[in-house]
Amino acid sequence: MILYKSALFDSARQDAILAHLESYINRVRATMTLPPEAVIQAVDRLGSRIAAGEFDPVIARVASPEEVEEYRALAVRLMSRSALEARLKNELGEPLRDDPTSPIRQERRPLGTLFHIAAGNMDGLPAYSVVEGLLTGNFNILKLPSADDGVTVEILSALIREEPLIGDFVAVFDTPSTDTEAMRKMAMMADGIVVWGGETAITAVRALAPPGVKLIEWGHRLGFAYVSGTPSDEELAALASHIAGTKQLLCSSAQVIYLDTASMPDLRAFADRFLPHLDRAMAAHPVTDLGAMARITTRRRCRELAEALGERESGEVLRGSADCSLILKTDSALEISPLWGNVLVKRLPRANLLPVLRTAKGTLQTAALLCPVQDRASLTEVLLRAGVNRVRRAGDLSASFPGEAHDGEFPLRRCTRIVDIEK
Amino acid sequence: MSYRSRLFRWPDPYDTASTDALFTDAARECAAYHAAHCPAYRTLLDAARFSPDDLDAIGDLARIPAIPTAFLKTHRLRTMPADRLHTPIRATSSGTGGRASEIGLDWGACFCGLSMIAKVAAPRSLLSPRPCHYIVFGYMPRRENAMAAAKTAYGYTFLAPALDRTFALRWENSRYVPDLDGVIRAIVRHAASPHPTRFIGFPAYTYFTLKKMDERGIRVRLPRGSSIMLGGGWKQFWREAVDKTVLYALAERVLGIPEEAIAESYGAAEHPILYCDCRNHRFHVPVYSRVLIRDVKTLEPLPMGYPGLVNLISPLIRATPLLSVLTDDLGILHPGEECGCGITSPTLELLGRAGMEEIRTCAAGAEEILKGTESEKEYGRVKREK
Repeated sequence: MILYKSALFDSARQDAILAHLESYINRVRATMTLPPEAVIQAVDRLGSRIAAGEFDPVIARVASPEEVEEYRALAVRLMSRSALEARLKNELGEPLRDDPTSPIRQERRPLGTLFHIAAGNMDGLPAYSVVEGLLTGNFNILKLPSADDGVTVEILSALIREEPLIGDFVAVFDTPSTDTEAMRKMAMMADGIVVWGGETAITAVRALAPPGVKLIEWGHRLGFAYVSGTPSDEELAALASHIAGTKQLLCSSAQVIYLDTASMPDLRAFADRFLPHLDRAMAAHPVTDLGAMARITTRRRCRELAEALGERESGEVLRGSADCSLILKTDSALEISPLWGNVLVKRLPRANLLPVLRTAKGTLQTAALLCPVQDRASLTEVLLRAGVNRVRRAGDLSASFPGEAHDGEFPLRRCTRIVDIEK
Repeated sequence: MSYRSRLFRWPDPYDTASTDALFTDAARECAAYHAAHCPAYRTLLDAARFSPDDLDAIGDLARIPAIPTAFLKTHRLRTMPADRLHTPIRATSSGTGGRASEIGLDWGACFCGLSMIAKVAAPRSLLSPRPCHYIVFGYMPRRENAMAAAKTAYGYTFLAPALDRTFALRWENSRYVPDLDGVIRAIVRHAASPHPTRFIGFPAYTYFTLKKMDERGIRVRLPRGSSIMLGGGWKQFWREAVDKTVLYALAERVLGIPEEAIAESYGAAEHPILYCDCRNHRFHVPVYSRVLIRDVKTLEPLPMGYPGLVNLISPLIRATPLLSVLTDDLGILHPGEECGCGITSPTLELLGRAGMEEIRTCAAGAEEILKGTESEKEYGRVKREK
């Protein structure tokens, strides 16, 4: 299904529409303006309708019943007028030069045309990415993920019904990923490409993007916890609960717990203390997804067979009774864990923090810092200097706060440019 | 004659009910062979306290240690040493997760395999002496490309004598590039030929090409006997964004090929048994394999109708201990009678893949972009975590 000029078209029309898209976009950009207020009002209204449960059947197509609840809460938080106005003010509201004695005047303008390539495995993200493009006044081309199930088109259509003007600024295609020709055409029309994904995705998009197109990349990130001194049981419980609650699936989830030590026995002592917390947390947040359970069981089965052949896993492994484990490693690399409550525990004396974390540049995002209060400021400083963008308390790795940046940037700002006009 | 040969020569390829005893015997024979010649496999059987002699009845199949495909990708279990193996075929899985398992076929397995293909292909009239043109929506074979998917698709082009073969993925400048326009030109050319055209390969490319023809208003009427065989991997069609019925309608409109002439097949490198759909497009379990669905937590076998991990059992292969393979697919078995096509062996419905491990938020949607066209990877879609 294709969404173009506020109407739905059969996917078979793709090439015909693409042939005229450039001239259509040029006409829109030459003659029309999308004021932020129009977008805010439409998104706010749609958010209230989602919050009221009107879209539950649509969301239920891609989410479990508990997740429907979660998405509704998310809609309220991200789509309300106050949230959107705060974002615009916070991200775009810095004073631009307006000095009567200056020979120039500055304005913030849309980048122009954005091509969004959004994730297939995070529902709602494609629409969210387009809304960011609309708020900044851009024309938006969206390539749907193959697993979309029509949800994005339905949400964007509802948005267009709230504010018909939006329909002139959106073109959505369900182009299969094999159609590189069409993807390249879309990339050629864009001033910026917004891509959400892992290293492979980003590399693929870089190969696709013509020179001169701005790349707005939101790549995978890895979170970790840094523990110095002796944390309280409350802190450990909060960290364990976050690990179990997110199953380590989020960019901000802790993959590794680093200890401020050079001693392996210290790791073991910490793991002995932390495992009961993790076990309790996993029992409270069991894995319920059939596919996830199958993966965990298959991995266990592989391990049993390898052990039967006399193979030993590298590093010491402490297993909880609730299908969770702490894996004690001798290296210090920041890497992805086996997920689902299986956490890597590594040594990282504070003197090595910066050089070690620098080797993970590009994947750094969130650090939960568990340390004595007198060390907090200095350790925070080292983490930030190493490239970490968010420093949080034990259980707050994923918590979002109003006005916060995304991976070190204000997303809306990346969708715009500053123009200088001589008076 | 070995039990294996008798099983693979059984006249009715879907007569699972009458072949239970023979299948058990063949499984015992296969397990004993691997236990005697593959020390690692022997160790695994011992660790599970399982002896091939424990196989007395079909219900005992569940006791054979099931080896995950993930394990086969990291452990080269060989019953016949590679240099001694006079094997005509070495195939690898597509390595979607970055690693591929290596499968060897012994000569005996090849003969059994040919008999199997002839029998399974018969009900769908796939075996024919009538020469035809082939359009392969898959990889042009190269000596270096050991991928089972490429070999399977190429293998199908021998079911009827080939006049010529056109490949949608051509090898140019050290990479595979799609050449759909070349394919469309070939289709138009073949429409004027008195011989039928057979289409083979990945459903995604098939659909995509037909859609392109439809858009350009290209309509041909291919001679009777023309057909489409979809396949090239387990992960190809189910839950694809395109509904099968859409593809059937498109094939009728653009090529003049009716739904009855569209068959779907699948197989896995680790379980090289040919599954071909019935006229209701369901996959009945053939006599050459038995399917168990196992509980995702306990791995205990589940009754029909319950979803779980798909465990495939076949005594075909001697070179590698693939007797009982635990796939990373989720599936359900249904009683065969419910299908209504007349075949009574159970049907296997595939629900999707347990999938790979990935971080969720920032997603992998674009990762598929160039997959399948710019690399040798099988075309696949990134599974959404739920």
